Formats: sequence, structure tokens, C-alpha cells
Amino acid sequence: MANGWLTDTLILLPLGGAIFIALAPLSRLAAGLLALAVSLVEIAFWGGALTSYRFDQNIPFVQLEDRTTWFGELGISYHVGFTGPALWLTGMAAVTMTAAIAYAVWVRREHARAYFASMLLLTTAVVGVFVAQDYLLFYVFWEAMLIPLYVLVGVWGGPGRLRATLMFFIYTMAGSLLMLTSIIVLGISRGTFDIVEGGVSNSDWIFLGFVAAFVVKAPIFPFHAWLPVAYREAPAEVAGVLSGVVSKAAAYGFLYIAILHFPHPTHDFRTPILVLAAIGLIYGSVLAFRAPDLRGVVAYSSLAQLGLITFGLFATNLAGFNGAVLQMVNHGLISVGLFMLVGLVELRTGTGKLDRLGGMARGRPALATVLMTLGIIALAVPGSSAFAGEFMILTGVFTSGWGWSVVGAIAIVLAAMYMLRLISAVLHRSKGSAVDDDARDLRLPELAFILPLVACLIVLSAWPAAVTDHNLDVVNAFPALERFVP
Amino acid sequence: MKGPDVTWYLGVAAFMFATGALGVLLRRSPLIVLLSLELMLNGANLALIAFSRLHGGGAGQIFALSVMAVAASEVVVGLGLIVAMARRNLTLDVDKLTWLRG
Amino acid sequence: MTEITTSWICLFSPLVAVIVIALGGNRFSRRAAGVIATGSVALSFAAAVVAFATMLTRAPGNRSHLSTAWTWLSAGNLHFGLSVLVDPLSVFMMLVVSGVGGLIVLYSIGYMHGDDEERRYFAYMAMFVFSMLLLVQGGNLILLLSGWGLVGLSSYLLIGFWHERPAAIAAAKKAFVMNAIGDATFALALFLLIAKTGTLDYGLAFSKAHGLSQTVLILIALGLLGGAVAKSAQLPLHTWLPDAMEGPTPVSALIHAATMVTAGVYLIARTAPIFQLASVVQDTAAALGAVTLVMAGLIALVQTDIKRVIAYSTMSQIGYMFLGVGLGAYASGMFHLLTHAFFKALLFLAAGVVIHALAGEQDIRKMGGLRGLMPKTYAVFLVGALSLAGIPPFSGFFSKDPIIAATLERGGAFGYVMFVLAIGGTFLTGLYTFRLVFRVFHGDRDRFVDETFDTHHGEGPLVMLLPVGVLAIGATLAGWLQVPGGWHGVSSWLQPVAAPILETTNTQEAIASIVSVVLGLAGAGIAWWIYIARRRPAPAAVPAFERKFWFDELYDALFHRPAVTTAKVLYALVEGPLVGGSMAGIAEAVRGLGTGTGRLQTGLVRTYALALAASLAVLAVVFLAVR
Repeated sequence: MANGWLTDTLILLPLGGAIFIALAPLSRLAAGLLALAVSLVEIAFWGGALTSYRFDQNIPFVQLEDRTTWFGELGISYHVGFTGPALWLTGMAAVTMTAAIAYAVWVRREHARAYFASMLLLTTAVVGVFVAQDYLLFYVFWEAMLIPLYVLVGVWGGPGRLRATLMFFIYTMAGSLLMLTSIIVLGISRGTFDIVEGGVSNSDWIFLGFVAAFVVKAPIFPFHAWLPVAYREAPAEVAGVLSGVVSKAAAYGFLYIAILHFPHPTHDFRTPILVLAAIGLIYGSVLAFRAPDLRGVVAYSSLAQLGLITFGLFATNLAGFNGAVLQMVNHGLISVGLFMLVGLVELRTGTGKLDRLGGMARGRPALATVLMTLGIIALAVPGSSAFAGEFMILTGVFTSGWGWSVVGAIAIVLAAMYMLRLISAVLHRSKGSAVDDDARDLRLPELAFILPLVACLIVLSAWPAAVTDHNLDVVNAFPALERFVP
Repeated sequence: MKGPDVTWYLGVAAFMFATGALGVLLRRSPLIVLLSLELMLNGANLALIAFSRLHGGGAGQIFALSVMAVAASEVVVGLGLIVAMARRNLTLDVDKLTWLRG
Repeated sequence: MTEITTSWICLFSPLVAVIVIALGGNRFSRRAAGVIATGSVALSFAAAVVAFATMLTRAPGNRSHLSTAWTWLSAGNLHFGLSVLVDPLSVFMMLVVSGVGGLIVLYSIGYMHGDDEERRYFAYMAMFVFSMLLLVQGGNLILLLSGWGLVGLSSYLLIGFWHERPAAIAAAKKAFVMNAIGDATFALALFLLIAKTGTLDYGLAFSKAHGLSQTVLILIALGLLGGAVAKSAQLPLHTWLPDAMEGPTPVSALIHAATMVTAGVYLIARTAPIFQLASVVQDTAAALGAVTLVMAGLIALVQTDIKRVIAYSTMSQIGYMFLGVGLGAYASGMFHLLTHAFFKALLFLAAGVVIHALAGEQDIRKMGGLRGLMPKTYAVFLVGALSLAGIPPFSGFFSKDPIIAATLERGGAFGYVMFVLAIGGTFLTGLYTFRLVFRVFHGDRDRFVDETFDTHHGEGPLVMLLPVGVLAIGATLAGWLQVPGGWHGVSSWLQPVAAPILETTNTQEAIASIVSVVLGLAGAGIAWWIYIARRRPAPAAVPAFERKFWFDELYDALFHRPAVTTAKVLYALVEGPLVGGSMAGIAEAVRGLGTGTGRLQTGLVRTYALALAASLAVLAVVFLAVR
């Protein structure tokens, strides 16, 4: 259990920060800067975790473990530790949450202490979901994500925020409760709630309970009704976190819990899930192509991307898994970056309607360059890390049937169509009615929180194998999967 | 000490319980309903004590004592309510008391 | 330095320029950005020359080396390295790309002077050269596809460089989306290849391809061909290229004439082993090339925009290259690629000089009689035109005729149909080329010319004329690299990589040469008769040509409108009810549930008691029965 303290620190540090910020009488700026400092330290600790993690397939697949009995008689314990994919996703979450917090400091969110405490709480919850090795602990963190999100959308959101939060809450609660049922049945019948000790299960119903929670949170078509409303009403950076980070908790749940711990049900249900993912992929892309506003485009593209990631996961082979994990990291960075850019454009023009924007490239080189770079990586131009992820996903799913890859290829073309439409609508043609001449270019502090995301993506583009080479350990620990891993 | 077989005790207990249950179901006066309820509880108590004697443990008797305590408190509340209703000149008929209908 | 080191330098030099220009921003003057970009491409060219010279010293069998920097992408048993392949074919392309590219970037310094976003332009240009070099140097198919996509991206950025023009943006998007279709089929071919062979390395994949079934091979080759057709603007994915002329003229010269659009030819030559195993698809490539070359020639006859005429001519010439590599005469196709890079870049740049001098006007109906005003431009344009029309001793003659000869060698009904189409193409080439020459440079000077021609400015600065001159020399002399019946510089160089599957005889070469020269001259003669002797002001209108065979309309009706309609229908029938309806539905359901359960709450104590007793009875019965 060497270095388990690192994992504990990653969970507890933002929690401590959140409690301190909530209680201490800080000014708005102090609260924001403290939150920012805490999340930067979080990144540093993640770096420590990355360096002490050994990507070796011959050692236990959960590393940096810590374990303390919680309810001994029920077999519930505080058991945390990293798997390879969780490590990358935690890093992605730490980086994007930091950027989102910096954005919030910059735009001066009202009620700063409550806001930043919520953001840090969300960080704790997300990291907790990635590192939990006990089903009940997983559930606790899973639900803990909901509370700050509910507050963040409900208090700082747009005019329709109450409806948005209500929908988001009802949908995800419905899914979560089914998962809770599954967890209780599984834990009681096993005598332990430990994910690692529990081993694999063959129960279809328990599997479906988990899947219910994940398909809603991800979301997968047709469980996405909350998505357009929530993404439109949430504050820009929270929408980014929702689509970039929180959805990855669901995707990781698919991988680590649903697929690896339920191999037979996965095998039985993968075709219907792939069908839903395929529909979501095309459907999201088509709607993104016609969406009338910036957030609509990014929101529906997010639906499409989650469909693609699900493709990779339910390809149930190494290429698919690796591609999906890479794409999860990519999409997290892209989505948070895009939503922050959307927010900055909205701040300058007061609208997100595509027909009122345009011509912003002239005289605003930084905005044009950043939006163009993020946009073309988002549409997975060959050579980018998003391309690497999609290529691996579609390679993986090809072995399940060529038809899935054809659907993916169609989606690549559609992605080019909707992303170019978004870029052009903001940057090109003559000036839109909402664009004033004094709408400024991106300023230095704004670049300071967007450029790191772009830089991460460019580094990943040069070396996507950094992720794909280094997350196999968890899959290899499940020999039961071998019968459908080529 | 040897008394009648446990079956007899149970027979009496069942008879008491059934009488009480019928009383609860059929009578309209809340006072009588309360009384019938006591009868049911005592039937249950009798069964508890009978089994306790059969098995030679003390648990049944202790349970019976707790049931008596609960029954006493319940009667206090129930009678209090009935007196309160009587004071406000309400009809003492359980079929008429339907304020809590959904 | 070995050829491997120099190849890496060649590849990354332009990328360094992109990064320097992007990070430098306003710290560089506009001119400095141009110099940095030109310098980086010149360095690439120098590196390519060194690599070429080093390889010349080696035995022909020892000229192929693969160098891997690091693993780019991996999963399980799949490993794709970031690697460069240095072999005769890639060095050939490196020389063309960096050589012609360097000249065109240099020309751009003059052409783009005064544009207020010059730095962005030069960053994009360097980005393009890097992407194109990645395409030709990449050591496996996934890097080829990466370069493939990145050149498409650079092309998108440069076509839409003047981003305030709606037409430019629309053209850029069209080009990108059509190329994305090609990318998608290309990627599908790679998925199939991975599924069947487990690798994307050229050598390993080709050797394993021999064991695959014919169906699989045909599908793989079709996917690759789809990519090639889209990138090289061949039928049926050609409609983006004429629109792409909205970009600055040097861009048209570099991307849409000399290098990127010929990538399809390179792809077919590079993956020749697969195409040879799927001969049906290889024939399809040849047939598509032949049909495109005739159709594009016909459309070029009636275009009135000087750049669009040259663009259709590019499509037509790439059609010849497709015909060549489709027939298996790889060296001939690549040789035509080389000479075409010279003379077509020359034509575009010379046209750019004309456009520049006429304040951006591109309509040939407003030109005429420019010979007197721009003698140097006229001379180089004429060199390009003669070369394009295949008149000896200019380079087009030497490179086009082996392709026509190959159709004869192929023989059979297929070969002869190809032959007829190819020589028909030479006639059309002569006709539209000299129509352009006569309309623009001969005849009466249009009043528009007198009003706009900037005598002070003249034919442009030295940085524009120097590259044009070098290209004119290239267009004149490049043909002598390979002379039928004489020596075979290009063929023997490419022999180790892409050995031809047919050898033409001297007789066939002679027939092809004579027929094509005669027809080319006939075309030029008819152009003279129409535009000089009879002084016809405008070409006759043929609806089918003017509407470009209705391809744009067809795709609009077939893809764009259905996509829009689908989106609307989905929104109205699925998304609206799902999002709006689910909220109302949930509220309604909860209310209904409440009302329903409320009814159970009668308020009658005796009902509750009865329910209790009844349930107890039922439970008792159940327990007894179950036991």
C-alpha cells in the first residue's frame, strides 16, 4: 500500500479547501485565488501520482491503494486506488477543473465562497469516482457530484436554470437509484462491497442497474433529454465541466464496472448498447449541424462524442478500450476549452446565436487562432490526438462488425460539417449584428487558462501513445474478458 | 408445575385476538375500538407468555411486559384524543371521522 | 549526414517555422514572416537534395530506409511509429514538394505584400509544406493518412484565407468536407487492413496482402481509391477544386496544382502492391482518370475565370496521371506529376502576375492584348501553355506521351477506349490552353485593361518574377529527364519502389507522340481560328459545360438538402418531444401517481384495519402454501 497517501490527498485536498472556503470569511478574490491555488496543488499531487505509478502489466492493477474499514460487518470499506485509465482521467479532471476555476475567477462569479466551495467539492467527488474501489464508496462519490452541480447550475445558471436543474436532477436520480439497488443486491449477496475483492458477476439485472446510471449521466441516446437544457442554462465553465468531466465519470463507470466486472452481461447486451451509441453518434452530429446557437453545437457534439466513446468501450477489445480512454481525455480537454471560449464570446457579444455572430477573426488573432485550433482538433483532423482516439476506437469496433466503423466514418464527415459551421459562424464572413468593434480579442489572463488545455492537446497529438501505451494493466487483470479480446 | 397443554392457551389467545379484531372492524364507537384493540394486544400477550413457558426462556415474558407498557401509553394517547373530540362536540363515530382522506 | 537525418530535417524544418511565426506574432515584421517561411522550405529542399545525393551513392537495392522516432499510437499488438520512410519515391516527392513549394512561398512574399494578415498566411503555407512532407515521408499508412488530413486542413485554411468573403469560406468548407469523405473511405480501408493483417507498415502490410481474399483486397483498394479521388479532384468527388480558386493565387499554384492534388497519384503509386492485387480497382482508377480528363477539358472550354480554366486543366492533367498509375505505368504517372508541378505552377503564378497587375480581376472577357504590356509574363505563360499542350520540346510532351503509349500497350477494348479518351484530351488541352493564351494576351485590348493596368507597378517585383523564371526553366527542361528510346532517369530511379507492370515499345511511343502532338496542334490551331482569325468575343455557350455537368446541383439535391431536412425532422419529431415532452411527461406522471394513491386514503379507519387484516390473511396463506 505504498504511496496510498497520494490518493487520499487527491480526494481530501479539494474537500478541505472547499470546507475552508465555505467557512472562512474571505473576499471574493481571495476565495477564488485560494481555490485556484488548491487546484494547482492538486495537479502537482497528480503529477506525483503519475510518477509513482508503475505502468507494468505484471503488478496489481490497482496501485497507490489505501484501505480502511468503514462498516466492517457489511463488508464496506474506504478503499481507494488508481487504475491506469483512472490515473489519466484524474489528471484530465484536475487540469480542466483548474481551468474552469480560473475562468470563474476571471469572470467574477457572484457569491464567490459558495461557488468555489462547490467547484472544489465537485473536484473531490469526480476524483473519488475515479479512484473508488468499493461500490458503496463509488456511489457516495457519484451522488456527491450531483450536489455541487445542482447548486452550480441552479444558482449561477441562465434564465431557465430552475427547469434545467430539475430535469438534470430527476433524470440522474432515477438512474442513480437503480444503480444503488444494484449495489445493495450485489454487496449483500457477496458479503463485501469491495470492487476488487468482489470479482466478476454474471447477473444481467445488476448489470442493467449500473448501466441505467451510466447511460443517463453520459448521456447516451435517448436518455439525453436533460443535456441541451442543462448545457444551455449552466454557466459556461460548468457546462464545460458537465460535458467534459462529469460525463467521463459515466464512461469510466462503463469501462471499469459495467464491462470489466460483468463480462457476460456485457457480451449479451453489447449489441443494443452499440445500436444506441450509433444512433446517438449520428443523431447528435446531425442536430449539432443544425443547432442555432454555439452551446447547442457543442452540446450535441458532446452527445455524439459520448456515442463514439461508448463505441470504443463496447468494442470490448484492446484497441477499442485504448482509443476510448484516449478519447475521454481528449474530449474532456476539448469540451471544457470550447465551452470556455463560448462563454468568452457570449460575454463579448451578449449572445450565442450563430446568425448574430460572425467576422470575429478580423483584428482578434488570438481568439481566431485558439478557436480554430480547438475546433480542428475537435473535428478530429488526421494527425490530432482526437483523430488518434477515433482511429483506435473505430479500429477496435471494426472487429465487431464493419457496419459500426462505417457509421463512425459517416460521423467523421458530419463532425467536419458541424465544427466548420461553428468556426465560420463565429470568425468568418462579415461582422454579425451582435459583434461590436470594441469586442476585444482574448486577453492575456484568458489565454492563460485556455492555452494550457490547447497545449495538452498538442502534446497528446504528438504522442497519443502516452495514454494508449499506458493504461492496459486494468484490462489485463480480467482474464474473463479474453474470450472476446482478440 | 404442570398446567393445560400449550394448545389451550393458544386457543384462548386466538379467540381473544379474533374477538378484538372483529370489534375493531365492526364497531363504530372509537371507545369500543380502543377497547377491542386492547383485547387483541392481550391475546398476543397470552400467546407470548404461553410460548415463553413452553420453551422455558424469559424473552416472551419480557416482550409481554413491553407490549403492556406500549398498550398503556397508547391508551393514554387514544383516550386523550377521544376526550378532546368529545369536548369539541364531535360525533364519536369512526365512519364520520374522515378528515384525513386523500 | 545520412539521408535519414536529412529527411528528419526536411520534415520538421517547416513545422519549426510555423511555431516560430505563431509564437512570434507581432514581434516579427510581415516581411520577416515571409522570409522565415521561405527559408524553412528552402532548408527542406536543401535537405532533400542532400538525401537524394547520398542515395545516389548507394546501390539501387539499398536505397530504402525506415527510421522511427517514437511509438505514436499503440494498443495491444498494434504499434504505429512516428517514422519516416526514405526511399526513391519519397525522395522524389520531397524534392518536388520542397522545391516547387519553396519557389511559390518566395513568390508569395511579393504577391501577398500589403495584405494585413501576411503572418497568418505564411504560417499556413509552412504548415502546408510540413503536412505534405509528412504525407510523402510518413513511414506507415496512418502517418500518410495524418499528412493526408493535415494537407486538407491547410488547404481549408488557405482557401478561406480571405475569410470575410462568403464565397471563399463556402469553398473552403466544401473542399474540407469533400476531402473528409475521402479521408473516411481511406480510414475504412485502413481499418479493414488492420483487421486482416494487423499492421499498417508498408512492407509488412503488402507482404501479408498476398494472402487476402479478392473481396477484401478490392474493398481495401476501393477505400484507398476513394481517398485518392477526393484529394485529387477526380470524378465523382471533383467539385471542390474549381471553387477552391477563391484562395490566393500562390495557394492555387502550390496546393491545387503542384502538390496536394497530386497526392492521390502518390497514394496509388505507394500502395501499388495492393492495387495490383485488386486489378479491377486499378482499372477503375484508370477509367476515372480518363473520363475526368475529357470532362474537365470540356468544362475548361467555356470557363471565363482565368484561374478556373487552369483549375479544370489541373483536373484534366491529374486525370492523365491517374490513367498512368491506373495502368501500372507508375514512373510515367510520377513523371507527369513532376513536369505538371513545374508547368502548372508556372501557369498559375503567371496568371497571378496578370491578376495582380489588373487589381484582382480574373475574368478573361475583360482581358486581351496584354502581350504588349507584359512581355515577360507572356513569354513564361507561353512556355507553360506549350508544355501543357504537349508540344515538343517542352516537358509536357515527354511526360504525357508515355501515358498514352501505355494505353496502347495495355491493348484490348479497355486499352483502346482509354487511348481514344486520352488523345481526345490532348486535343481539348490544346484548344482550351490556347483559347486562354489568345483571349488574355492577344487580340484587342479591353477598355478595362487600359483603366486598371498599373504601368508603374509593371509586372511585379523580383521576388515574384524570379520564381516564375525558375519554373519556366523547369517546365522547359524537366522533360529531358526521360526521353523515349533514349534514357530513363525517372523510371530507373523509381524502379526499386514501383516497378511498372507494363513496358511500352518504341513504336507505341512514336505513335502516341505523333498523334498527340498533331491533335494538340490542331486544338491550338482551332483556338487561333476562333479567337484570332474570326475574333469571336466569347465562347459558345453549351449548357452542360457551363453547368459543369450538374454535379453541384446533384450533390446539393442528394446530400445537402436531405441532411438539412433530416436534421429538421429529427428536431421536430424526436428532440422536441423528448426534451420538452419528457419534462411535462414526468410532471404528469407524478401528478397522476399522487392522485391515484390519494384515492386509497379514504380516511376511514375501518377500511385500513380491514386492509391490514386482509393482507395478514393473504400473507398467512402464502406462507403456509409456500411451505
